[in-house]
Amino acid sequence: MLKYVGKRLALAAVIAALSVTLLFIIIHLIPGDPARTMLGPRATPELIADLQLRMGLDQPLPVQILIFFGNMLSGDLGMDMFSNRPVATIVFEQLPHTLALIFASIIWSAVLGIFLGCFSAVRRNSLADRLTGVLAVSFIAAPAFVIALYSLLFFAVELRWFPAIGAGEPGDIGDQLWHLVLPSFAIGLSWVGYIARLVRASMLEIMGEGHIRTARAFGLPEKWITYRYALRLAILPTITVIGVGMGFLLSAAVFAEIVFARPGLGKLVIDSITTRNYPVVMGSVLVSTILFVASTTLSDIVNALLDPRIRQSS
Amino acid sequence: MAITETKSDSFKTRGEFAEVLHHLVRDPLGLTGLIIVSLIFTAAIFADWIVPYDPIALNIKDRMQGPSMNHLMGTDQLGRDTLSRVIMGGRIALQVALPTIGGAITIGVLLGMIAGFGPRWLDNLIILFFDTVRSFPTVMFALAVVALVGPSLTTVIFVIMMTSIPTYGRVVRTQTLTLRNSEFILAERSMGASVGRILAVHILPNVLGPLAVLAAMDIPTVVGLEAGLSFLGMGVKPPTPSWGSILNDGYSLIRNTPWIIIAGGVPLILTTLGFTFLGEALRDVVDPKLRGRR
Amino acid sequence: MTADILKITDLSIHYDTPRGALKALRHVNVSVPRGKIVGVVGESGCGKSTLISTIIRLLANNAKVASGSIVFDDQDLLALSETQMRGLRGTDISMVFQDPMQTHNPVLTIGRQMTDIQYRDKSTTAEKRNRAADMLALVGIPDPVQRLDQFPHEFSGGMRQRIAIAMALMARPKLLIADEPTTALDATLEVQIIKRLHELQAEIGCSILFISHHLGVIAELCEEVVVMYAGEVVEQGSVRDVFHSPSHPYTKALLDCDPGHIKEKTRSLPTIPGEIPDLVNLPAGCAFAPRCSQVFDACRSNRPAWNECKPGHHALCHLAETETVS
Repeated sequence: MLKYVGKRLALAAVIAALSVTLLFIIIHLIPGDPARTMLGPRATPELIADLQLRMGLDQPLPVQILIFFGNMLSGDLGMDMFSNRPVATIVFEQLPHTLALIFASIIWSAVLGIFLGCFSAVRRNSLADRLTGVLAVSFIAAPAFVIALYSLLFFAVELRWFPAIGAGEPGDIGDQLWHLVLPSFAIGLSWVGYIARLVRASMLEIMGEGHIRTARAFGLPEKWITYRYALRLAILPTITVIGVGMGFLLSAAVFAEIVFARPGLGKLVIDSITTRNYPVVMGSVLVSTILFVASTTLSDIVNALLDPRIRQSS
Repeated sequence: MAITETKSDSFKTRGEFAEVLHHLVRDPLGLTGLIIVSLIFTAAIFADWIVPYDPIALNIKDRMQGPSMNHLMGTDQLGRDTLSRVIMGGRIALQVALPTIGGAITIGVLLGMIAGFGPRWLDNLIILFFDTVRSFPTVMFALAVVALVGPSLTTVIFVIMMTSIPTYGRVVRTQTLTLRNSEFILAERSMGASVGRILAVHILPNVLGPLAVLAAMDIPTVVGLEAGLSFLGMGVKPPTPSWGSILNDGYSLIRNTPWIIIAGGVPLILTTLGFTFLGEALRDVVDPKLRGRR
Repeated sequence: MTADILKITDLSIHYDTPRGALKALRHVNVSVPRGKIVGVVGESGCGKSTLISTIIRLLANNAKVASGSIVFDDQDLLALSETQMRGLRGTDISMVFQDPMQTHNPVLTIGRQMTDIQYRDKSTTAEKRNRAADMLALVGIPDPVQRLDQFPHEFSGGMRQRIAIAMALMARPKLLIADEPTTALDATLEVQIIKRLHELQAEIGCSILFISHHLGVIAELCEEVVVMYAGEVVEQGSVRDVFHSPSHPYTKALLDCDPGHIKEKTRSLPTIPGEIPDLVNLPAGCAFAPRCSQVFDACRSNRPAWNECKPGHHALCHLAETETVS
């Protein structure tokens, strides 16, 4: 098991390092200069040269990457040139809001999705199964930010059931949860569909396997077989998908944060782009990339914990 | 033997197309998808003739009007007709989606085949590249690029294309790997057929089905991303009417002109539903193994 | 109390297929006397699996009972409700399946699975675990208490099949159905497991319906043998009669193909030419006629009768009677 975790962490580190490097290279390949971007169109060449020097942009690309990695490992994502605060501090101030939103979305969508998937699989090919299937596909197709806008319009602006903006009073957990309802509904909806379909498909596959036949041959109650024997296995691919889903949720969270004017990583990035605050943009993108890699790694490790076969095969 | 194989293949493909269509029309979900998608394409192609008003012409006198017989979906804060903007927005959406997916498929197929047919180290390298690209949260990555080069249609296409390459590449690679060692390919190779010929004649036709399914399922994602970026003001530049920018106009005046948000969102939802339904139905036809599971 | 623990009479099972009814079993008669081991032999596709699935009612959804009855321990199984049937499974009737690698749930420990199947029992978990460990010891698993906490993949194929047997016998069933339990194992393991099964059967006193295509195993273990071909019982009798003086040409062909029976050195193993007939469109006469080496005109038009060769030894063949006379 430890060996597996070690291997998986090493792979994650390689992927994270590679994606950061790739990001760096892409940014350098496309036309546009961070210093010029930050200073705007009316900057004098001297000012630009000065900022380039301060940001280390005069160095060759490999050196820049190495310096960047060195700084990153010591928790330094650079300085925000406007407020003179470290980028890392700014990003980590906003991160909890985004994480809260993502976890709230994962939890409600996983619970509902697993329930719907089981419901469908048990009633295979019935009318209820077909309707759930169409519903699941429709959920999957729903674009998160349109759902966000519609729920803002109907439930916050028109019906006034839920608050329209912000993340709630700091310290007041109830109020904060209340503010989470609409945003997490909006970005979790398509995951309900994904998870329902995935659970249904893997349930049906597992229900046809030999060990389920054994359980039936021993006269175990059908409910027992479904929920304790089959579901335990059927949930495993869902965990992997949730890990990958973090990436999509990070993207969707940007929209939810803008629509509901919530603080968070997405809002930080958009605001920083508008003020041309390039270091903060890069810092947030990096943190979210690493977050994504971390979550896929974590889901693989959780999977290994739950599935003794993976532990063995490593 | 090789010649008969090819002949029967191409013959089969033509018969298959009719059969695929037949199956699609019989599946209620597929038929719904097909109808919606055809409507969207028709509206986008003939947009110039359909629109009741010039979608970018200002008309301050008629600004912020609710839905009426003159303006079926009302007007925005600059007096532009929402319905006309929505129809034109469909054209923009497809103008982004089609080249993006076309490009992603082309590059994905190439990389996937190289990975599947090439030496082991190259395969590993390409897989690593796929994994790396997939580890960018798409919107964040797009925003990073936009932050540098500024918002534009090209930026949107480039970013979305980059992030969708792995989806196609992986499928092609897997298919190539399985086919590579199949008997008829080994026979062809032993008879001296070139790798290019094998790829073009045998492997490409075999991946077309799964690719079509993936593309149909991917269009909603791309359309949604374009609209999303435009909504954030990081995509298509005003006054070009994108569904995203229409939603943005509606959002800033949500309490005054709620009809704009509704009008901008409905076509987006319809498009994503239509293509997803079509993709689902297509997958059931292309992959009969899955049909049994439904 | 009847002499037979299981008596299958005139059983026909049809599967609904797009091409029409697939007649997987036709007028099958099989009896398992109390305390005896009955073997069923036949190629794959002869209906062995359908027969078992019908007995424990785990048939596919498209299967239909077209005729017949299954009487187990004086009750008609086909007349039982789903719940009553479930009550028999794992108590009075147990099963050991063919592939030991797929018999157990991969994410639950062996101990958990062995205590779960005792769910009807009111005793404590500790008692159930003890019983499971005792059972594992009985089938020859070393360190049974420790191994209860291991997962299926930590056991070899032979071990897993022993565990399957332990699970099946734990409730001391009246009938054990073993579906090719040794096919997936190598020869030495096969001998060990057969021996252990024989000992346990004698101890518990249950009956066994033993399905196999390995004639040597049947000869070793069983007293009675049933030969099946294409959904029919073609020959039945004591192991001695059937193996020493086979009456049906199919049984003869099977015996000729068995490596253990080949006396002269040959370059290749003999096989029965031809294939099993299409069970949707069956030939008019004898189902084996197209592959039979002794076929004559009547075989192609008339269904053979269930002829007695000698008391307790029957064959479904036109030639069966004449053979014993000569």
